Amino acid sequence: MNKDEVDEFIRNKFAEYYRIQAPNIQPPSAIEKREFGFILFKERMMIRHKSFRNPVDLQQYLVLTVPSDIYFSAAYYERPEESMENKGWIGADLIFDIDADHIETRCKTEHDLWVCQSCGTLGKGRQPEFCPRCGSQKFEERSWLCETCLEAAKTETLKLIDILQSDFGFSADDISVYFSGHRGYHVHIENQIVQTLDQLARKEIVDYVMGTGLNPRLHGLDERGWKKAPIVVGPDLHDPGWRGRIARGVYDFLMNITPEQFENSPDLKRQAVDALIEHRDLILETWGKRGPWDVVKGLGIKTWEKVVAQAIKLQAANVDTVVTTDIHRLIRLPKTLHGKTGLKVTEISVKQLENFDPLSEAVAFNTGMLTVKVIEAHRFRIGNEVYGPYREQILELPTAAAMLLLCKKVANIVR
Amino acid sequence: MLNTKSDLAKYSFTMEAAKYVRSLGLTLNDLASPAYIQILNRAEKRVEEAILYGIVSGTWHNDDIEILSFPASMILVKATGDSFLKRRYALAEAKRAYNLLKFEDKEKLIAIAMGTFNWRMRLLNVTIVPQIYDFALHFTDFLRNACVFHEDKWKLVNRVMIGGEIYLSREEAARLLQEEIQRHIQSKLESEGEVDLPFPIQQRAERLGHLLAKHKEEIRIEELPRGTTSVAFPPCIKHLYDVSLVGQHIPHIGRFALTSFLLNVGMSVDDVVKLFSSLSDFDEKMTRYQVEHIAGKRGSRTKYTSPNCDTLRTHGLCLGPDEICRGVRHPLTYYRRKLKTIKLGVGKIREQR
Repeated sequence: MNKDEVDEFIRNKFAEYYRIQAPNIQPPSAIEKREFGFILFKERMMIRHKSFRNPVDLQQYLVLTVPSDIYFSAAYYERPEESMENKGWIGADLIFDIDADHIETRCKTEHDLWVCQSCGTLGKGRQPEFCPRCGSQKFEERSWLCETCLEAAKTETLKLIDILQSDFGFSADDISVYFSGHRGYHVHIENQIVQTLDQLARKEIVDYVMGTGLNPRLHGLDERGWKKAPIVVGPDLHDPGWRGRIARGVYDFLMNITPEQFENSPDLKRQAVDALIEHRDLILETWGKRGPWDVVKGLGIKTWEKVVAQAIKLQAANVDTVVTTDIHRLIRLPKTLHGKTGLKVTEISVKQLENFDPLSEAVAFNTGMLTVKVIEAHRFRIGNEVYGPYREQILELPTAAAMLLLCKKVANIVR
Repeated sequence: MLNTKSDLAKYSFTMEAAKYVRSLGLTLNDLASPAYIQILNRAEKRVEEAILYGIVSGTWHNDDIEILSFPASMILVKATGDSFLKRRYALAEAKRAYNLLKFEDKEKLIAIAMGTFNWRMRLLNVTIVPQIYDFALHFTDFLRNACVFHEDKWKLVNRVMIGGEIYLSREEAARLLQEEIQRHIQSKLESEGEVDLPFPIQQRAERLGHLLAKHKEEIRIEELPRGTTSVAFPPCIKHLYDVSLVGQHIPHIGRFALTSFLLNVGMSVDDVVKLFSSLSDFDEKMTRYQVEHIAGKRGSRTKYTSPNCDTLRTHGLCLGPDEICRGVRHPLTYYRRKLKTIKLGVGKIREQR
């Protein structure tokens, strides 16, 4: 099959899904105030400024149009179908996007590919600024659905939810968590209290969850006593907010770091590294009693500030800064399919997130088998089954596994 | 609760004060009559102080005159129709309120915050060494007012926040209220609706208009020079500029920061488009459209100001501050300052010659 025929095949599968599932697709609250956007299979472009008066209109539209990807606005508008300037912004839910694309995982260099669109050169890992062969800047990114990356994204999401609950005081009812259908998670907060926050306020919220601009001296790290031989004091493990997070981050950092990592940590001076390694046990043992900030002579506030900087990185939730600060953002509609995987956007309760398995619970095509010719595929898992790696092979696979490969454009249908 | 006349005289912008004034049932003509001349005198004085000193004085002799002079001065400022004065007056009144509030009873401060401005706030008496906290304020109310401050201590990430509440000292609460009061007064001044004013009031408004015109001349507004010099660019912009000159890729937010900065320091749309022409994915029509959009010549017709340092930091575009950066919070301020030092430098060299 050629590319268009494969697209048509995927589209038919998506159509099957929407024919059955459309009535179960829960539209967002205040549907008539939301803007909807769709990517179509054929045109591969975004249609925006759509609006629906009721859930049935939306469901019918999905069955009729069968888009590859479906989005709605986090924002509420007076006139969602009008052009951006005339929409009449009323407010917007507070949203967060955690995507493996923004998290440095080691496996990325193994499974993520880029292809230069001008000369076809291939490379591994993140795309470069320029194609090393032709200098072009247009690439097609081929990211893989990897468990390590998904786990990393989940860890960030869990950190975010902890911050949202304990620091920001949101209840589990305010917070909706979704698996995006690809490599990350979306967190929506639908509470009137945040809807009218402007971009600046949202930027402050992003900075809070990411620890950007955090000054440890405003969180209890300080020098006391005689100027020539000051005593360093600092926050405690059980302190609220970022204070406690700083302390716990320092603890984790010292607990888990290997001497090699220490060598590589920037800014830390040789002497400081030696002192930290030598007295690590003392620091950890005396924590909360007479330590840890002042138990080792020679570890001054400057050194601690550098350690704290590492601790902040461990404790911060790594979110996409642009998504949260954009008050007109479109975000995927729950229970719809992701065009790059054939998996569905899946809601997860805050409690169940820790045990959530996207590769089982987000599977949309549960029945049947398909015969495909795989060009190249890394190892992957769907449900309890692990597949691959494959290279130039004709295989009969369960529909979900085959759809993933087709959507990822690494396989073709065998008639 | 604000229950004494002295409270209302101190905080004449509050709901309680407005209610009291309404209960008196005074008309504009009453106000213009000789019997109330002291009220108009004080009202005019309030505005005068705002123009000349940027703050309204916090001392008075008669509570009733003080209370009534506030709405009267609002009428005067509105009558001038000058938006610069509206801003300046709102700020001057807010500053006065701040000076009074920072020494005010906690109960009264919270009564104003909750009663007039609907803040979600409660009293607190907590010490987290070395700070004593008197209030807990919901973070959304905090953000609405603290976003304009740029000191580290006002950043949300540097606050003690527990269960959605920000802990505040009395002084901090007063400072946040100042912002709220300023916005409150300004929005009242900018609200629609004109009335025919009796002659004595009109006359005073005109007098204030003249005083303002005289004062405005004294404010030297620094105009940016026509030519743009990259020597004065802050490090973040300089980097983006250099990178685009050699045609390297810049992320979208970086392009926006660079374009809006360049347009704001007086570079023409043509020159900005030219700058991007060395990018390999350059599409002149598209680039021109986007640059013109940022310049306010298309779409919403809003001319965009370049993002401030905080935003650049959030999106990872700040390269780390240099000497001048430390004193500024906006790349455009950096540019103005650096330009000034360059000019001074050039002047000195000329003198030496």
